[in-house]
Amino acid sequence: MASLQQRLLIATLATTLAAAADPPEKIRKQEFHEFRDFIAKTFGRLGGRHAKDRVISAQNVDGHGEVPDSAWYENRHARRRMSVDELRRGPGDSSPPAHGPWKVVAAKREGVTPGFQIEDAHGRRYLLKFDPPEYPELVSGAEIISTKFFYALGYHVPENYIVRFDRARLAAGTSTDSTDKPVREQDIDAALALMPKDSRGQYRALASLMLAGEPLGPFFFSGTRKDDPEDTIPHEHRRELRGLYIFSAWLNHTDAKAGNTLDMLVEHGGRRYIKHYLIDFGATLGSASFEAKSPRQGYEHMLDLKPSLIQLVTLGAHVPKWARAKQAGIKAVGSFEAEAFDPDRWKPNYPNPAFENRLPEDSYWAARRVMAFTDEEIRAIVETAQYTDPRATEWITRTLIVRRDKIARTFGESGLARVKGKLQ
Amino acid sequence: MVAAVLSLVLLPAQSLRLNGIEAERKTRPPHVESDEAPSIERAFNERTGRRVLKPLDDGWYGFRLKLGGITPGSGIAAGPEFVHRGSRATFRTSARHSVIGYQTFDGELALPYLAGERAFANALYVHRSLPRMPYYGAGPNSREDDRANYHLKDSSFELTVGVGPVENFRIGAVGGWLHANVGQGRDARYPSVLALFGQPAIGLTSAQADYATAGAFLEYDTTDVPGSPRGGGDYSLRVTKYGGSHNRVDVRAQHYLPFFSRQRVIALRAWSAFTDAPAERAVPFYLQPTLGGPDTLRGYNAYRFHDNNSLLLNAEYRWKISSGIDMAVFTDQGKVFPRMSELNFREWKSSYGAGVRLNTRQNVFMRVDFGCGGEGCAVWLRFNNVY
Repeated sequence: MASLQQRLLIATLATTLAAAADPPEKIRKQEFHEFRDFIAKTFGRLGGRHAKDRVISAQNVDGHGEVPDSAWYENRHARRRMSVDELRRGPGDSSPPAHGPWKVVAAKREGVTPGFQIEDAHGRRYLLKFDPPEYPELVSGAEIISTKFFYALGYHVPENYIVRFDRARLAAGTSTDSTDKPVREQDIDAALALMPKDSRGQYRALASLMLAGEPLGPFFFSGTRKDDPEDTIPHEHRRELRGLYIFSAWLNHTDAKAGNTLDMLVEHGGRRYIKHYLIDFGATLGSASFEAKSPRQGYEHMLDLKPSLIQLVTLGAHVPKWARAKQAGIKAVGSFEAEAFDPDRWKPNYPNPAFENRLPEDSYWAARRVMAFTDEEIRAIVETAQYTDPRATEWITRTLIVRRDKIARTFGESGLARVKGKLQ
Repeated sequence: MVAAVLSLVLLPAQSLRLNGIEAERKTRPPHVESDEAPSIERAFNERTGRRVLKPLDDGWYGFRLKLGGITPGSGIAAGPEFVHRGSRATFRTSARHSVIGYQTFDGELALPYLAGERAFANALYVHRSLPRMPYYGAGPNSREDDRANYHLKDSSFELTVGVGPVENFRIGAVGGWLHANVGQGRDARYPSVLALFGQPAIGLTSAQADYATAGAFLEYDTTDVPGSPRGGGDYSLRVTKYGGSHNRVDVRAQHYLPFFSRQRVIALRAWSAFTDAPAERAVPFYLQPTLGGPDTLRGYNAYRFHDNNSLLLNAEYRWKISSGIDMAVFTDQGKVFPRMSELNFREWKSSYGAGVRLNTRQNVFMRVDFGCGGEGCAVWLRFNNVY
């Protein structure tokens, strides 16, 4: 029988050879319709599901249940412990917006937070995203922290940076490759008018480096891309997407949906292939992208029949545990706690086929990766959010540690043994 | 050498793995569905999304559809609205027509950020034609059977200027003009107000009247989300002088007590309106404080009670049952009275009921309230929050 290393190598080589043998040619951009996705996932059951008499194990794993490196996933902190500095850096700290003026070339079109597209002196383009005026540091803090965790956990994510700047740094400009209406100086003034400034008169924002390659729209959490010959495994049967449930529960990524993913056609070493990214972590931790989360998020789907009926019938006399949990009471934190957190009952905003297909082995695989983070490493990543209020750093760090420990108890060795015992 | 040996060992395995992937592709369960929408649905989505739904929400070159908002009892109303938002000013105008012939036209210029955002100004013009307005006579003991109706046409212009010297607090002055015309009601089921009650009894000296209005206000608002409060309070005092007719004072206090992470709210409101007319004059009936309807006493008809003064107390227990859906049970208590000496707890009108509210985080955009009072029950569909 081959060793773990051999099997990992086989799986990696097989994936690489399969990819190299069949590069994509006719690729079209996929569209995402949020409302349709919500309806389809809430009321339908997309994707291949477990039958009553047969479960479908994750299909992209080796004999030891490991996921080989691919265009979807790269083993990082789990394979070789990243240093604290590497964890702090995340997907890269080599390309923050350069010093000098930033040319505002377009208004930000995607997402719900206000912002601009800017070009720095080196011609690199960034999405500049602001916090909601009523919740300074909330969204940018959550996004920077989660970017670094998801990177260390193995996903492809954009490079995000916390930036501080004054008004003089921004200049209206046009881009040669944009068909957008040119941004005027008064447009910039109008957008900044409502933004809070710090004691030095500077604005804080999140600068997200535009991904390299050609955007092809989101990937979905079930089925495959018909135009990608490398995409052979139904997404609902990919371990890294099933296990994403555990990571999303830990980081309270309630908006883990296709709309927050992106496929990019990239070229590397003379080979073109589709690389799969997770993007937009503005709705993680206690943030809901444009305001603080409702404390209900993470505990119930947006439309959840059973708890709604209970509330209706009891006239609200039944008070769920999450409604009684203590919150930080800090605007930069929003609604994020560990007291009521139950990792096995956590829920995204609406159902996700890959999450629903999660088996104990998938959870165990993911839980081991969560357990790999020490308290110090968690704190180091949280500190990169640069919260003005040290209580925010403390609260989020402590909450992530407690949530990690709950995940370990639920899905770790003992949790897996317990579940398997029940199944036997 | 090692690599060559390794490749000899591994290649069959790679081949097997590739075969396995290919086999998996062929034997994939037939019920696997892609998230991709069928082409008809894609076309429908794009068309409805881009050409129909998006303009309804975002508007089309500043124009969009505006629903409701004329007056309780007007029936469902709709019409175009134009909004232009600048960095310092917002201009808005709309025209609406209801299914039973109510009409309104309005225009507003708002300057919310003057003098370094410490001052504000607002100019508002409203024209209304309300052809079936109900009137039951004055006083708490007016009879339901005495329902009459009238056609009210009025036009008003109001200029408001104010300052916000400290956070949450605003003080300002209001000046303007009101032209009102009372005519024969168009609801043939009920007699005319003029025929049933007579002009003097309802405070009219003529069918048409013009009033120069002037007043002042104080507001202290600490609510967390003004369109759908879950905490804080909103307190206001407003004094208005209707030139040559009467004075009116409105005192309103709303307070919200959240609990269980703001998933439950006790919402309280006290609202009183007092008028004061010279001895030789009466307050015109259409300018009297009123109670009854979806925003006051929900178990009674709209505009059921009129008199010189009114006092209203509301209490609601609201609880969230789902994202975007709140339920409420409520009680409304109120009375109208002709003189201040009759401000007491006798002859109160009560109503009780329950409702469902559809909301975004910022606003209640639709509610259905079912209220019962001493004269029966009523169901109200409204496109606003009650308070």
